[in-house]
Amino acid sequence: MILAKLKADMKLLGEVVILTKDTFTASISRPFYWGRFLEQMIHLGAGSLSITIVIGVVTGLVMTLQFGYGLEKFGGTLYVPAIVSLSLMRELAPIFTSLLIAGRIGSGISAEIGAMNVTQQIDAIRALGTNPIRVLVVPRVLASVISLPLLATLSAFMGIIGGLSIAYIEFNMPAGFYINKVLSTIKFSDVFGSMFKCAFFGLVISILACYRGFQTTEGTKGVGATTQWVVVRASIVILISDFFLSKLLILLFN
Amino acid sequence: MNTNILEVRNLKKSFEEKEVHRGVNFSMHSGETIGLLGNSGTGKSVLLRSIIGLEQIDEGEIYFRNERIDTFSEQELYKVRTQISYAFQTGALFDSLSVFENIAYPLFEHTQLSESQIEDKVRETLSIVNMKDAFDFMPSDLSGGMQKRVGLARAIVLNPEIILYDEPTAGLDPVNVEMVIEVMNRFKNKGISGILVTHDIPVAKKICDRILILRDGKISFSGSIEEFDNSNDPFVQSFLTGQ
Repeated sequence: MILAKLKADMKLLGEVVILTKDTFTASISRPFYWGRFLEQMIHLGAGSLSITIVIGVVTGLVMTLQFGYGLEKFGGTLYVPAIVSLSLMRELAPIFTSLLIAGRIGSGISAEIGAMNVTQQIDAIRALGTNPIRVLVVPRVLASVISLPLLATLSAFMGIIGGLSIAYIEFNMPAGFYINKVLSTIKFSDVFGSMFKCAFFGLVISILACYRGFQTTEGTKGVGATTQWVVVRASIVILISDFFLSKLLILLFN
Repeated sequence: MNTNILEVRNLKKSFEEKEVHRGVNFSMHSGETIGLLGNSGTGKSVLLRSIIGLEQIDEGEIYFRNERIDTFSEQELYKVRTQISYAFQTGALFDSLSVFENIAYPLFEHTQLSESQIEDKVRETLSIVNMKDAFDFMPSDLSGGMQKRVGLARAIVLNPEIILYDEPTAGLDPVNVEMVIEVMNRFKNKGISGILVTHDIPVAKKICDRILILRDGKISFSGSIEEFDNSNDPFVQSFLTGQ
């Protein structure tokens, strides 16, 4: 039983690796579907802007409020800008944005490709002499890998702005002091590390979603199961890989 | 010299424990239309899908214009699929694209035509299937019969040598059935070969030059319409009488 499960998991891993390799190969050779890529950038990237901004601002507000009152008892309110901005940039914005995108985009991609699969549209793409990976996967994966780091950076920035407003209103902290503290705390390596992690998370979300979409059978029931599978698996992979990526970045930059 | 445009030799295909094809053999001449009959679940559609490599066969050989194609990679098969097209049972239209974009899709992919030339070609192809007013429609705006005709238009737009029809008249009312038959006959008159999978014997008789019956994973009958009608084979008889 355990052996069979392990075998199935290894098969899945192998197929995902092959899909990733095929996607990479297809993305660096012609033809490249610019129109489809831009469409996905708008859909995946621009379409997630508002929710990303809300998540960022609210996280910044709550973090500043909690750390502000928590540290006030020990006279540590001055450290709030550094703590909030660093935690937002390094961990909270990348993780929250990626989990949100896993839910919003991962489920969307897998449902779309899954529905195309059960209605034979993927077969039609192949039967018309074209490559479904090139047509469907490459634009979605590239759009995810590019848009997710940008969204997470925007989310962190909006969180810092949210924190600034609460620090000013609740703790009478001057805006200039807050901004100076933030700028002296956050380094290029923090921004780069955040974007690097998010690019990886974007790859994980989109590849898993496309892979599962191609595997979808059993009509609408199968499409529902596919979206659930993608959101759960992508979230787990994001959370686990975050630890290892964080460790790697600390080794590289500290 | 071999004049067959398509030849299938000893094709075997299984899905896990289920043996679907146990050695299918047949060949097809250029310009010929073959009717492929058989009970439900005998693997008629799987056979069509195997011919253009949508299904990987277990054993056997498939030749197109005397060239073995079952050993082709997916990349090599893309070119074959511009010459052997597949008309899906449901049409399999891309639901996010309009009728024009659906039919233009293979033209954008495989030709160097300009946008205006592609538009002209799509309009011409739509008129062949009596759908010229549906140019800007979305697939969801079309009835089942209309979707099938648009699917047929997409299948012929690259001027293929063979069309594989997967139950093109299934689920249609008599008027739409006649329209689809008329369209398929137009393709036939243009010299396009075809394999028609159907359960509708009158339709097969109207279009096909030859009938094949798939039974127990093999071709159990192969003959002209006349031979089919006059066959003493009990299984063929049961097909003809519907019992």
